[in-house]
Amino acid sequence: MANLNINAKKKNTYDAIVIGSGISGGWAAKELCENGLKTLVLERGREVKHIEDYPTATKHPWEFEHRGQVPLAVREAYGRSFLREETLHWAIKADEQPFVQEKPFTWTRGYHVGGKSLLWARQTQRWSDFDFEGPARDGYAIDWPIRYADIAPWYSHVEKFAGISGNKDGLPHLPDGEFLPPIELNCVEQHLQGVLAKNYTDRQLIQGRCAHITSPQPIHLQQGRGKCQHRNLCNRGCPFGGYFSANASTLPWAAKTGKMTLRPDSVVHSIIYDEKKGKASGVRIVDAHSKEMIEYYAKVIFVNAGAVNSNMILLNSISERFPTGLGNDNGLLGKYFTCHNYRGKANAQVEGFLDKTTSGKNPSNGYIPRFRNVLKQDTDFYGVLHRDWSWPWHEHQPGWHRGRPEAAIDPSPTRQLECERLDARRVCAH
Amino acid sequence: MHRRKSIKNIALLAGGLIALPSWAKAWSLESLPLVSAPLNPAAQNTLALIIETIIPESDIKGAKSLGVPAFINLMLADCYDKKTVDNVEKGLAAVESLATTKYQQNFTNLATPQKEELLLSLEKGSDTNLKDFYSLIKNLTIQGYTTSEYVQTTFLKYEMAPGHYHGCVPVKS
Repeated sequence: MANLNINAKKKNTYDAIVIGSGISGGWAAKELCENGLKTLVLERGREVKHIEDYPTATKHPWEFEHRGQVPLAVREAYGRSFLREETLHWAIKADEQPFVQEKPFTWTRGYHVGGKSLLWARQTQRWSDFDFEGPARDGYAIDWPIRYADIAPWYSHVEKFAGISGNKDGLPHLPDGEFLPPIELNCVEQHLQGVLAKNYTDRQLIQGRCAHITSPQPIHLQQGRGKCQHRNLCNRGCPFGGYFSANASTLPWAAKTGKMTLRPDSVVHSIIYDEKKGKASGVRIVDAHSKEMIEYYAKVIFVNAGAVNSNMILLNSISERFPTGLGNDNGLLGKYFTCHNYRGKANAQVEGFLDKTTSGKNPSNGYIPRFRNVLKQDTDFYGVLHRDWSWPWHEHQPGWHRGRPEAAIDPSPTRQLECERLDARRVCAH
Repeated sequence: MHRRKSIKNIALLAGGLIALPSWAKAWSLESLPLVSAPLNPAAQNTLALIIETIIPESDIKGAKSLGVPAFINLMLADCYDKKTVDNVEKGLAAVESLATTKYQQNFTNLATPQKEELLLSLEKGSDTNLKDFYSLIKNLTIQGYTTSEYVQTTFLKYEMAPGHYHGCVPVKS
C-alpha cells in the first residue's frame, strides 16, 4: 500500500505547476518548459486548440443567422449586455458562476484554454519610471520594490517573442520597445495628432502599441504565426496567429519542448501548504467532469488565474499556519484588487474628411499617453485615475458600417449607396 | 425556430439525414414559413411591402430578393422584446389604416410613390411610436440588405482578409 501511494504521488509530481493558461500562465509555461522544468498547466475550462477550435473565425457576416445579435432568450441566460453571436462560445452563463454585484461589475472571464488572451484588446504599452515612482514620489500606498530599469529587459524579452507593433515616439513616460512597424493612423487621428502637437507640449496622440505582427520575424514564423491580416475579427480567435494569444504562441511553444502537460477541465480548489516545511507543496483540483478531487505536487507553483480567481484560490488555501488564506496575514486578500476599467468614456464628432476613407481594418487604435500628474501634481488626486486614453476610432461611414446604419433611408438603393459619403464621420472613444 | 428543431428531431428519430426526403433538405431561410414569427400572415405581407418599398428591386437586387423580409421576421421573433414587437404590430396596422384613410385603398394596391409618401410621413410625423416602428424596420432592412452576400461582395468590397491597412486613402480609389 505504502509503495502504491508513493508511486501515485510520484506520478502526480512535477517540477512546476502553473494555475491558469491565459496570457501570464502561458508565459510561465513557456519559460519553465524552455528551462527544462517538467510543468503541469491547469486550466479550469475546456480545451481550445489554436485554429481548430475557433468555430466562427472564417464565417462571413451573412452566415450569422441574426447578423451577430444574440437572441433575447439566449441573452437572458448570460445575464450581461455585451454579447455577440460571433463570440458567444467564449461567454460564461450567469448560473455557471453567480456573483453579487453591489455596483455594476463586468467580470470578463475566459474559462477555457488561452483564457482572456483570446479576448483582450491587445494593447501593450510599457510602464515607465513615472508609474513605478508614483507612490514614493507622491507619498501614497507602498513603494514599488522594482523600477523600470529592472523590468525593461523583460519587456524586450516578451515583446520580441509576442510581436508588438508600434512607433518609437521617444516619450519618457511611455518608453519605446522592440517594435515591429506601426499601424497607420487614419485621417482624423492624424488631424488630431497635429492639433495636439500644435497646442500642447505635454500631450501626444500616438499609434497604440499592440500585439499584432505587422512584419513577421523568424521567431514568429517558428511559432507558426503570420502577418496580421487586418480583419478585425480577433476575438473569434485568429487562424493566422496575427495577434498574440497563449493558444497561438506560448502554449504550443511550451508543448513543443515535450515538458508541458496541459490539463483542461481542472478547477483548482486550493494550494496545499506543507506545515513542516513551511512551503506550498502542491495544488488540489476538482475535475470538472468527474468531480474527483486530485492532488498534484511541485516545488514551484505559479498562480496565474486572473485577478479575481487568483485571490479566490489563495483565500481557499487554508492551513494551520494560514487560517484565513495563504499569505493573508494582513487580511488584504480579496480586497483592493483591480480589473479593467470600462467606465470612463468620451466621444466626439468630427466634420469633414468626407473625401477620405480607410482600406483594410485597424485592429489597434490611436492612443493618448498620460499627461496628468506626470512631471508635477496638477490634479487633486494622486497617481493616475485614467492612466491613458485609448481611442478606438470607429469610423462610421454612415449606412454601411458594422451593420447598424445611421443614414437616412432613401427609397432608391442606388442613392442609398451614395449616402456613404454624405454624412459627417463620427469618432468615439473609451 | 421550433419547427426547424422538430424537423431535426424527426430526422434523428428516422435514422439520420440519409433517410430524409429531398424536400426536407431543400428548404432555405426564404422558403421556410416561420411558424413562430410573431406577426400574422396579413401583417407579414404589409411588412414585406414596406421592406420592398424601402429598398426596391431595380437594376440591382432589392431587399425582397435578398430575403430581407424573412430576416426581419426572424429578428422580431428572436431578438426583440414583446413591447417592441407589439409596437411593430400596431405600426403595421396603422400603415394599413392610413392607406385606407388617405388613399381609400389597401397598402398593397398603392402605387410606389404613394407608398413612399406614406412611409416618409411616418418618419416625419409626431407620433413617436410610429416613428420608432418605422425606424426599427428601416434599420433592420438596411442591416439585412447590407450584410447580405450580394451587397457585401458586389458593392462594399468585402474582403475576409484584407491583409493590409491604409489609414487615409481617397474615397474613389
